[in-house]
Amino acid sequence: MSDEYRDLQNLLASMGNTRLTRRSLLKYAAAGGVLAGLGPLVAACGGSEPTTSPSAAGSPKQGGNLRVGIVGGSAKDTLDGQTATSEPQICTTFQLYDALLGWDADYQMVPLLAAEWSANADASVWSVKLRDDVVFHDGKPMTADDVVYSYKRIIDPKSPKMGASQLALLPTSGIRKVDASTVEFHLDSPSAIFEEAMALYANCIVPEGFDLKKPVGTGPFKIKTNKPGEQYVFDANTEYWGDGPYVDQLTIMEFADATARVNALLGGTVEAISQLPAAQVKVVEGGGMKVLNAETGAWQPFTMRIDQKPFDDVRVRQAFRLMVDRQGMIDQAYAGFGGIGNDMYSPFDPGTPQLEQRAQDLEQAKSLLKQAGHDGDLEVTLNTSDAIGSAAVAAAQVFAEQAKGAGVTVNVKKVDSGAYWDAGNYLSYTFSQDFWYTRNYLSQTNQGTMPNAPYNETHWKNEQWQAIVEEAMRTGDKAKRNELIAEAQKIEYDEGGYIVWAFNNQIDGYSPKLGGVVPNKSGVPLSSFHFNNFFFV
Amino acid sequence: MPPLLKLILIRLGLGVLTLFLVSLIVFAATQLLPGDPAQAILGKDAADKARYEALRQQLQLDRPLYEQYTSWLAGVMVGDMGNSIVQQDVPVTDLLADRLINSTVLVLFAALLSIPIAILIGALSAVWRDSRFDSTTNLTNLTLAALPEFVVGILLVLFFATAVFNWMPAVSRVDSEVPLSQQLDLFVLPAITLCIAVVPYISRMLRASTIEVLESEYVMMARLKGLSGNLVLWRHSMPNAIVPTLQVIALNLAWLAGGIVTVEYLFGFPGVGQALVDSVANRDIPMVQALCLLIAAVYVVLNLIADVATILISPRLRTGLR
Repeated sequence: MSDEYRDLQNLLASMGNTRLTRRSLLKYAAAGGVLAGLGPLVAACGGSEPTTSPSAAGSPKQGGNLRVGIVGGSAKDTLDGQTATSEPQICTTFQLYDALLGWDADYQMVPLLAAEWSANADASVWSVKLRDDVVFHDGKPMTADDVVYSYKRIIDPKSPKMGASQLALLPTSGIRKVDASTVEFHLDSPSAIFEEAMALYANCIVPEGFDLKKPVGTGPFKIKTNKPGEQYVFDANTEYWGDGPYVDQLTIMEFADATARVNALLGGTVEAISQLPAAQVKVVEGGGMKVLNAETGAWQPFTMRIDQKPFDDVRVRQAFRLMVDRQGMIDQAYAGFGGIGNDMYSPFDPGTPQLEQRAQDLEQAKSLLKQAGHDGDLEVTLNTSDAIGSAAVAAAQVFAEQAKGAGVTVNVKKVDSGAYWDAGNYLSYTFSQDFWYTRNYLSQTNQGTMPNAPYNETHWKNEQWQAIVEEAMRTGDKAKRNELIAEAQKIEYDEGGYIVWAFNNQIDGYSPKLGGVVPNKSGVPLSSFHFNNFFFV
Repeated sequence: MPPLLKLILIRLGLGVLTLFLVSLIVFAATQLLPGDPAQAILGKDAADKARYEALRQQLQLDRPLYEQYTSWLAGVMVGDMGNSIVQQDVPVTDLLADRLINSTVLVLFAALLSIPIAILIGALSAVWRDSRFDSTTNLTNLTLAALPEFVVGILLVLFFATAVFNWMPAVSRVDSEVPLSQQLDLFVLPAITLCIAVVPYISRMLRASTIEVLESEYVMMARLKGLSGNLVLWRHSMPNAIVPTLQVIALNLAWLAGGIVTVEYLFGFPGVGQALVDSVANRDIPMVQALCLLIAAVYVVLNLIADVATILISPRLRTGLR
């Protein structure tokens, strides 16, 4: 009897010891909350003090092993520069290969493998004189034969490469070698912007008989180890015809996750990373690293199909453009890292006019909608996806909020990344978003707004506008061409199907140990991956 | 033939049948997904019809489905796992070999770390049940089990690698060119993360079954005979208590072997999980098949080992076999 009584006493006592009182629950919850809140606090006050950075114009020192972390992680990338579409592949293309022409940091065209280039009077024949000091990684000198081979490879109908659509006016028979260092391109019809196709990074020059299993190019780095989806290791090309490279070895590591990428920079595993999320800018600066904040001409528009209701009425399109509070959207979706847009693309094109900056005007928007027959009852679906870019979904949600002020209900439909670009979806959505890098006007129209453009999301069709653009394409005189471009831009500014609300900044991170890291307007990260210009200070 | 051996052989035979069924289901499921490898490679550029069609032909995607499956199966029968579709002409084994080794080493690390710790915690919690130790470990276990693995991983990285201390590397980019023995420090934080992910389940399971065993009559008999606490616990109770826990251990190890994608993403660790997610996104059937068969095989083998160990350890089942 006494044993059982003692057992019962013990039992009751033990229950009392472990009973979860309301007080102890709150205590534990508070501890858990502190732990969760500790993260950002620790991140903010952790790390070394911000080091005073050495002068950015420090003289380039030779040597070192440069390691860079970029977005990636998929095994589908190859080292074929002419098919570059994903970020890792674009990155390796800049290291291994060069095109005939290129863009500098201010988005002005510069010669690369070409020493000179010119067009005839009506821009139907383009002539390129090659540099004579270029050798491939295997020691063979570059000649006109290689250029001819490369361009034929790009437009090969059995296996067209990424730049083939921009070379649509160039027939195979039009690629002609004139002599060992001169090539002529005879186009089916005149094109004032053929030079922009020659400047595309994917239209790079490879040697005759190029073998993808042993890729050889003219670029500043030679491939040493190739592990698609993981990392690439390069050796410096000491015979490079251009600037640099200053480092001896380059390792490009792919990180699918943004947190891992930032950790790699903070932990010293890499010296530079691409695509730094805006939310992590303070973390990176607090950790003693630097932020590369480049203004670009890259844009993520809202696209309205002008051939479908309700956007077939131009007043609805104009109303939608007036609903947007552009700076507010930049602050919310891009954390302030963006330049304001005015419904015109190609900001760096000399022909783009300065028109009155549109601002949010809900009253005018409501009035336009009423004229079009929608009196506070308009409802649309906005298709968005993470596949477009990291801020796209946020921008869509901000738009939905702003649209309420004009009495429009926007249903944001988030489409799965794998399915967004599928046939039947992309280019068929009535109202959606897209992403574009920096391009000049005529190039962009060939890709997005001309009748046979591959990516005409808005299904834009306007005879008057088309005639102006076609004439501009044939005009060799720059001043005249710019006037025509300004006219065409005005038409799109008034009636187009795009809402160009901003040009996003390209934000990357890098260590203060690096010099030669400059902002680049093209929208391609980390100085457009010109690692040949990076050096250790 | 000894009955245990017969059991093992039957189970292995059933395992092969399981693998075959898995391959059929995986093939069908991947075909049902929208898109195909050509679309995955081209991304937005798939809108360019000419390139899309040309690529489809190049990748031999226009063959009928059953032909794609049977030609793959024929290859597997002779040990050829095929070539990756998106990395044309590169054998699947080349692409996976390093990742396989990385993941195996990581799982081994995690297992060696977690099993002893979990057994110790479980056993001690059972012996000192309802004490302060028990309630603290109970609460910690539940909290850790509730936290997602990547949160645990982030906290570990913050604490040991970036913000507070700089003892450990912040990412685990294992370089396949460098011998693993020189890169062991890269495995530490991921292994601790995985260990934290599985210890709660194993230790709680062990605690429950140990408590039950400790209350049984033969244990009371052992105590009455005057045997020490340690002997009672480890020699007499544990063999019976651990039987249900073996199944939990096997399941958790198989789960780890499947590749914890979130941990791999967080640490930038080149392992099997990331390869599987990527291959599915690319609709790269040979890669997906190889990985799924691998993971299924690991499940089969680990479960078999757990069952055999159960039989060997527990005397009742051993005699029951005859």
